[in-house]
Amino acid sequence: MTTSTQTFPLIQLRDVVKNYQSEAGVFPALKTINLSIERGEFLGIIGKSGAGKSTLLNMFTGVDELTSGEVIVHSSGESVSLHNLNENDLALWRGRTMGVIYQSFQLLPMLTLVQNVMMPMDMSGLYHPRKSRERALELLDMVELIEHAHKLPAYISGGQQQRVAIARALANDPPMIVADEPTGSLDSVTADHIFQLFERLVQSGRTIVMVTHDKGLMPRFSRHIEIVDGELLSEGGIQ
Amino acid sequence: MRPRWRKVLSDLIDNKARTTLVVLSIAVGVFAIGVIAGAYRIISDDMSVSYAANNPSNIEIRMDDFDEDFLNTIRKFDGIKEAEARRVFNTRVRPLGETLWTSVDVVTMEAFEANEVNLLVPISGEIVPLKNEILLERDVLEKMDVVPGETLEVQLRDNSIKTIYVAGIVQDSSTGAVDFLAPPLAYISTDTLKLFDQPELFNRVFATVEIGQDDDNHINIVLSALKEKIEKNDYEVGRTFRSLTHQHPLESTINAVLGILMALGVLIVFLSSSLIANTLSALLTQHLRHIGVMKLIGGRDKIIFRMYLILLLAFGVLSLLVAVPLGGQGAYALAQFIANKMGFLLLGYRIVPLSFFIQIAVGLLVPLIAGFVPVIKGSRVTVQKAISGDTSGETSEQAEGGANKESRIDEIQLKVTRILADRGIRIQRPLLVSLRNTFRRRGRLMLTLFTLTMGGATFISVFNVRVTLHEYVKDVGNYFLADVTLDFDTPYRVSEIEQFARQDPRVTHVEGWAFSGADILYPDGSTADNVSLLAPPAGSDLVNPLMVAGRWIEADDKKKLTISEGIYDLYPDLEVGDYLPLKVNGKEESWEVVGVFKFIGMEGILGYAPYEYISRDQNLANRSFSYRIVTEQHDRGYQEMMAEDMDAYFRESGFHVQEATPGLSTLDSASESLDILISFLLIMALLTAVVGSMGLAGTMSMNVLERTREIGIMRAIGATDWEIIRMVIIEGLLIGMISFGLGIVLAVPFTYGLSWIVSTAIFETPIAVIFTPMGYFIWLGLVILLSVLASVIPARSAARLTIREVLAYE
Ligand SMILES: Nc1ncnc2c1ncn2[C@@H]1O[C@H](COP(=O)(O)OP(=O)(O)O)[C@@H](O)[C@H]1O
Ligand SMILES: [Mg+2]
Repeated sequence: MTTSTQTFPLIQLRDVVKNYQSEAGVFPALKTINLSIERGEFLGIIGKSGAGKSTLLNMFTGVDELTSGEVIVHSSGESVSLHNLNENDLALWRGRTMGVIYQSFQLLPMLTLVQNVMMPMDMSGLYHPRKSRERALELLDMVELIEHAHKLPAYISGGQQQRVAIARALANDPPMIVADEPTGSLDSVTADHIFQLFERLVQSGRTIVMVTHDKGLMPRFSRHIEIVDGELLSEGGIQ
Repeated sequence: MRPRWRKVLSDLIDNKARTTLVVLSIAVGVFAIGVIAGAYRIISDDMSVSYAANNPSNIEIRMDDFDEDFLNTIRKFDGIKEAEARRVFNTRVRPLGETLWTSVDVVTMEAFEANEVNLLVPISGEIVPLKNEILLERDVLEKMDVVPGETLEVQLRDNSIKTIYVAGIVQDSSTGAVDFLAPPLAYISTDTLKLFDQPELFNRVFATVEIGQDDDNHINIVLSALKEKIEKNDYEVGRTFRSLTHQHPLESTINAVLGILMALGVLIVFLSSSLIANTLSALLTQHLRHIGVMKLIGGRDKIIFRMYLILLLAFGVLSLLVAVPLGGQGAYALAQFIANKMGFLLLGYRIVPLSFFIQIAVGLLVPLIAGFVPVIKGSRVTVQKAISGDTSGETSEQAEGGANKESRIDEIQLKVTRILADRGIRIQRPLLVSLRNTFRRRGRLMLTLFTLTMGGATFISVFNVRVTLHEYVKDVGNYFLADVTLDFDTPYRVSEIEQFARQDPRVTHVEGWAFSGADILYPDGSTADNVSLLAPPAGSDLVNPLMVAGRWIEADDKKKLTISEGIYDLYPDLEVGDYLPLKVNGKEESWEVVGVFKFIGMEGILGYAPYEYISRDQNLANRSFSYRIVTEQHDRGYQEMMAEDMDAYFRESGFHVQEATPGLSTLDSASESLDILISFLLIMALLTAVVGSMGLAGTMSMNVLERTREIGIMRAIGATDWEIIRMVIIEGLLIGMISFGLGIVLAVPFTYGLSWIVSTAIFETPIAVIFTPMGYFIWLGLVILLSVLASVIPARSAARLTIREVLAYE
């Protein structure tokens, strides 16, 4: 089994269509998308604001429903059609397979940094509570925030918060990281710092999909695709 | 600690105001239920045990004077276990140096050491009075301040004053229990009788039966036989009383009152749970984003549901920590209060397991039930909605419904504003904003209005019921319209007394009344009950009866009577014109019932027959023991003064005055016990009002919290603190006023329901309901005050927000 799934790409989007229902009528946010994400690549999804980047991301994180088509994930020896999973299985699956990072960090404000990082391990039950604490501290050390481990998110800067979000995304040691404009609300120096962190994660073998509107980042991805009005425009090759 | 529990803990302790609000709203209900359930249990346990502990007599017979020998005859009578003889007479006492007399019934006992029936419980001082010493029943202390070791003055029939040493204070829960309108008691031994110029003879028998002490039928059989025996020995028997050993005579009344309080307690729990539901659904709405994040990183419905379940349970546990100890104390205090009033002792402080468990069940279940729907909804929300949706939004269907409603309300508001503006009435902008805000969250508004309206309606109803009860007691006062009742030890000619009394220019009218005790018989000839036959002159204006059927007495009635409604307990199908078997002066007779009138049921059965007939029948024509005097003025103070003056005046003139009582004194104790009930009802009404205003406060702070951004923008465009505070207060007031309007309407059925329950419990008959504006006005004032208070705190915190804080708010 393991060998057979290895030959498939990590994620396959087949004819994915997403329409939003609104008062003004049906709005086609994604128009028949076909896309494969390979293991170990650092994929950039680039597009202007409103192009459908977040919508696309939500399709393969399973956070939102699709209108038609299929998203198939091949991992840990299994092939799963994401949208056939129920909400619970999906949450558990996402917690173990995917680290999700948002532009607005989405840390829980009442928990300290270390507790925030421990949360996915607590939810998935993959680690013993004591072990998960050790691991959370290791991850915070990796993102150079160990000395702030017991502070609340409100007391650190935005760039630091995003690093905590990255540490949290890595908590269950998922094969894949998905990031929606993770540097969007950060200054350029901090943003670069975060980007370097991603590059190191790719080097250590993880698959990363990152959404950005910043075309300047294009050369730094291993591959990039451009999205305009819900359609994939160009596809950069593996460098 | 696992992060999920850490989060629950933070949710609990970070927002102290909200946690306090939720905990207190649960605690109020738990407390109310705990107090009432506990008191109910303590009283029903202790009342019968404590009453039975003093070996109460099953039979009390008031009769002609008799001696020790005859007592032995009674003791040997079949079916009698213990019997004691007493001499009971009325006298007046006062502490040395005081001017006001207090009427007491002095109970003379043969041997205090050998006391077996109606046991006395020592409170302070001695329990055995020596010669020329007196013991006072605790109730006397309500009328005067006296401690053992002090000396009292007593006034004898010949008007002379003697002194007597107070040896001790005792409690007698049995002797006075049958008639809590009687004067308080005092106790002397037989060798003190001389001091009071009383013969060394007895006039009452207190006896217990051998078997069937809790069987009224059996007691009645023994009593009837004993009465026959006594009458055969040529003694006349006056009133008789029966009581069960294990049932306090007022038990059913007290239980009824507690039942009403319990119903209110349940109402409070109900209201507080709607308040909790409100707060929790707001909390869950605020937590939507957190729930989304947890789901994003792998949290399943089950985990999230469990986390919030624990949060709910924690609210419950915290409220129990507050309410259970207070509830236990409150229960005992309430029981103690009632026990004091009713004259029995509690068996000591204790925790009532039943009420303890009820409190725990209520404290844990109420938040679970109230929070269940919001928690289920919250844990089912999808990540997408939770993270992307605006954090203040409700679930989508509601939000859409809300949006439609909102635009409709806006439309209406716009129209109304325009119409008003056309007529030159301008509504200020902040007011407009408040008006719209009030209707923004309909579900929340409904719940808030519901709690506040229920509280208000209960509050108003309690005032109506209060007036209804007092009015009823006043109606009953229509049977006691005289200002002074003057009783003599021997009969005097009516004309003589009238002439004498009229020499005082303040006396405007004098009537001589006759009195006769009688037994009502069942058709088979057995005794059913006593009836007191009062015999005023037929044309008397001093009785103003409320007839239920038939007519009032007439001068030429012979063997005809009117009788109080209580007769229906014995003869449910009785109709005017029917003949009633009575035993009057030992003779069995058949009397025609010419009318039935309304009277307080628990007083026993009362009958009226014309003086013209009764006095002749008793060979006392134109003479009387008892006189009703009408004076120039009818207020309480004047009546008391006249009673004293008449008493002194007739004594000085050599008449054998037994007692002169001011007119309304009998009613005072009735009103007093009603006031106790009313004050309990009021406390409960206040609690419901408090729950209602806590609901309002919660709603207001949620509304303000959700409008933080809007407030920030208002501030950014130059709104002052005062304008923002005013906007919030106007909104609170508006809700308060709407609930007041609804409360006015709801108070009508509430008043009818509550007075029906209370009057059937106490008077054993429904009574006419009376409405008073007082409750409405007080509630109006209170609801304004509460609304302002409930809005001021959130309003001030809203005004304190800086623009930066507001815009940073997510
Ligand atoms: N829940 C929604 N309902 C209706 N339209 C939506 C919704 N979410 C996004 N859209 C629309 O879909 C388009 C793509 O949105 P999004 O994927 O968020 O863009 P991006 O992330 O590239 O800025 C936008 O035009 C947006 O207005
Ligand atoms: Mg986006």
